Amino acid sequence: MSGWRGSRAGGSLPRLTWFSIRPGRIMGVMGDRMTLDSISLEPSPAVEAYKRDVDRTLIRENLKLSPSERLAKLISTLRFVEEVRRSGAAKR
Amino acid sequence: MTDFRRLLETLVSGNVEFIIIGGMAATAHGSAHVTADLAVVYGRSADNIARLAQALAPLAPYLRGAPPGLPFRFDAGTIRSGLNFTLTTVAGDLDVLGEATGGGTYEALLPHTEVHSVLGLDVRFVDLETLIRLKRAAGRPKDLERIAELEAIADERQKG
Repeated sequence: MSGWRGSRAGGSLPRLTWFSIRPGRIMGVMGDRMTLDSISLEPSPAVEAYKRDVDRTLIRENLKLSPSERLAKLISTLRFVEEVRRSGAAKR
Repeated sequence: MTDFRRLLETLVSGNVEFIIIGGMAATAHGSAHVTADLAVVYGRSADNIARLAQALAPLAPYLRGAPPGLPFRFDAGTIRSGLNFTLTTVAGDLDVLGEATGGGTYEALLPHTEVHSVLGLDVRFVDLETLIRLKRAAGRPKDLERIAELEAIADERQKG
């Protein structure tokens, strides 16, 4: 397995380095095939580095909504983006 | 703009067995990221492949990013011969996957799904934990931010 490993000092942006680990160690393997259960959910330094910057206020607001309301919000956002795009294109 | 309702209605009315994964599943679980395409894992049984081909035919599916004019037909034979297809359709971009990275076949994912009523349709989404596993398995640098958000969602849900 390989992936990105993150670290950072102070308030700087995360610094990512590529790492490689023998398969079997973390993932576990079944023949050559990865299985869902073999995918580790152990904390990853890279993900933890990104987690610090996640805006949890947006998540908390979304969690107050039902899945249907969350998708309706997404569609409404996409419509807005499309309108902005069209408006920009019309002005060019 | 992707017409999610039309894409989902097409699949549901065609009785296609599918599970929503990717960005739209993340949205359903509470992600604040904006996604513009729909990704689904479909069952690979002969009947379901036939239903998938038939359902999508009116949407004129074509290989996304391929030059126009290729003799591509998204029919049962093509689906059987292939596995994962990134398509463009008249209703927007649609990824139809026979298997998501991480062993995510329809049958393997099915026990890890939840049905939600969205846009007036009952559709099956992969659950949050499995979505995180799939994103981790994909191992793409661009997914790190998404995984971080999904894990933060799991944290917030636990705090409840």
